[in-house]
Amino acid sequence: MMSDELEQFEQRLRRQPLTSVPPEWRAEILAAARARQPQSACRTAPASSARAAFRDRLAAWLWPHPKAWAGVAAVWIVIAILQFSLRDEPAVRLAARPAPPSPELVAELRQQQKMFAELMGPAEVSPIDRQRSLFPRPRSERDLDRVSYAA
Amino acid sequence: MNMPAGPELERLYDEHAQALHAFLLSFTRDPADTRDLLQEIFVKLARDGSLLHGVRQERAFLLRLAHNAAIDLIRRRGTRDRTRDHFAAESVSPFAPAADPDEATFRRELSTALAGLPPEQRAVAHLKLWENLTFEQIAATLEISPNTAASRYRYALDKMRDRLRPLYDEMKRAE
Repeated sequence: MMSDELEQFEQRLRRQPLTSVPPEWRAEILAAARARQPQSACRTAPASSARAAFRDRLAAWLWPHPKAWAGVAAVWIVIAILQFSLRDEPAVRLAARPAPPSPELVAELRQQQKMFAELMGPAEVSPIDRQRSLFPRPRSERDLDRVSYAA
Repeated sequence: MNMPAGPELERLYDEHAQALHAFLLSFTRDPADTRDLLQEIFVKLARDGSLLHGVRQERAFLLRLAHNAAIDLIRRRGTRDRTRDHFAAESVSPFAPAADPDEATFRRELSTALAGLPPEQRAVAHLKLWENLTFEQIAATLEISPNTAASRYRYALDKMRDRLRPLYDEMKRAE
């Protein structure tokens, strides 16, 4: 059988009408379905219908371009994450940086150092070392100093 | 869609019962089983209001329910009722009776040919020929791939054609 003959055969099959549902079934089946409808479901119907209506409205609103909406949501999430991370960063930086000593504090420290020197007696402290000890420096430089002293 | 109330159930019945009935009858070939399965589907719809929520193609969804229900029935019956099933194939037709004797003979033979197909091929053939579904829609309804649907349809059509060829050729000559 050629393909056009097969198509004719197919068309002939399609034309065969199917038997109808016995009309008396309708009332019987619908009555049985209603009879087995759970009562609890009927009681909760208003709340669930309100939720369902909201879901339907939301779905109808979002449906035309769900991927586009998802993309927009993703972009907003990324923006929010970046925003939070950038807001935290300056505070960390300020906390990490040592505050410069005020002139009063420097004068006080010098005074204390002088008193300490007087109590301890004469010692050879070079002006450069005295200057160094007054100002706190980065940890890495202090380590280098220690290494150089040890050497 | 929430719990289908009376009018909603009625609408579903009026719109889809005919198609479900024909599909189930071609599966079970037994009016009592067909009625039971049809009722089972509507009871399920009445019980579970969320069943049709978000469903875009009610007909395809209900046909899937019908297919699953029919497969469950076949499994429940098992071997014991296969003989009965075969016997039923001889007597019950999913096609409307015809006044013309030649047409009546053709429908009877077609019904027998359809009954002789494996259930999975019969389901695809029915959905393609009498529900006009595409292979993609059939695949979605029966949860198979479109290629499987197409190959099952081809096998089914070949078998029916082989079975009906003498009668079909004779009728064509008479035309």
